[in-house]
Amino acid sequence: MPRLLGVDIPNDKKTVYSLQYLYGVGPKIARELCVKASIDHDKPARDLSDQELAMLNTLLERDYVVEGPLRRQIGQAINRLREIKCYRGLRHRMSLPVRGQRTRTNARTRKGPRKTVAGKKGVKDLR
Amino acid sequence: MSRSSKKGPYVDPKVYAKVEKQGANATEAIKTWARSCTIVPEFIGHTFMVHNGKQHLKVYVTEDMVGHKLGEFAPTRNFRGHGGKGKR
Repeated sequence: MPRLLGVDIPNDKKTVYSLQYLYGVGPKIARELCVKASIDHDKPARDLSDQELAMLNTLLERDYVVEGPLRRQIGQAINRLREIKCYRGLRHRMSLPVRGQRTRTNARTRKGPRKTVAGKKGVKDLR
Repeated sequence: MSRSSKKGPYVDPKVYAKVEKQGANATEAIKTWARSCTIVPEFIGHTFMVHNGKQHLKVYVTEDMVGHKLGEFAPTRNFRGHGGKGKR
């Protein structure tokens, strides 16, 4: 299987889709990459030549922020919000939704699994 | 939806005038209710007393805060925790 940027090994799908297994590469960037490296979008990733892979590597490193550096960039942006103790930073600290979503119900992605409280309506049998 | 960049950032004229008056040497805190006022680079180093609906909270403006609004630094809600009948 082909390797890009060291660790990532996209499988034997079409190149456009295969590239999207990289963190930070979505449909848009994948298409751009194929055009810039003049690779047929539908060519299976396993058939990419070493030359084409090298081309993709240089393009990714030069023009885009992906994988590790992107993760770091996002982490730093969040840390900045945390440190200046603005509203969004506080929401990050409390691991609650940051963009004004409701928290009376839902918000499980941020809050994690439900922590059932005994004595509340509907859980009387736990008492 | 975000504000049209054509208009530029909203800076409360009264707050801005007060900052200008104080100049570089920020003396005392500026008391304000203008939570929607954007923090511009001129505000760095000044201290504001931002109203949260009840009191004025002290906000010292640093470089990182530029572009945020004053109100983002004065939380309006005070969460005291759930339950705890026995504890109280």
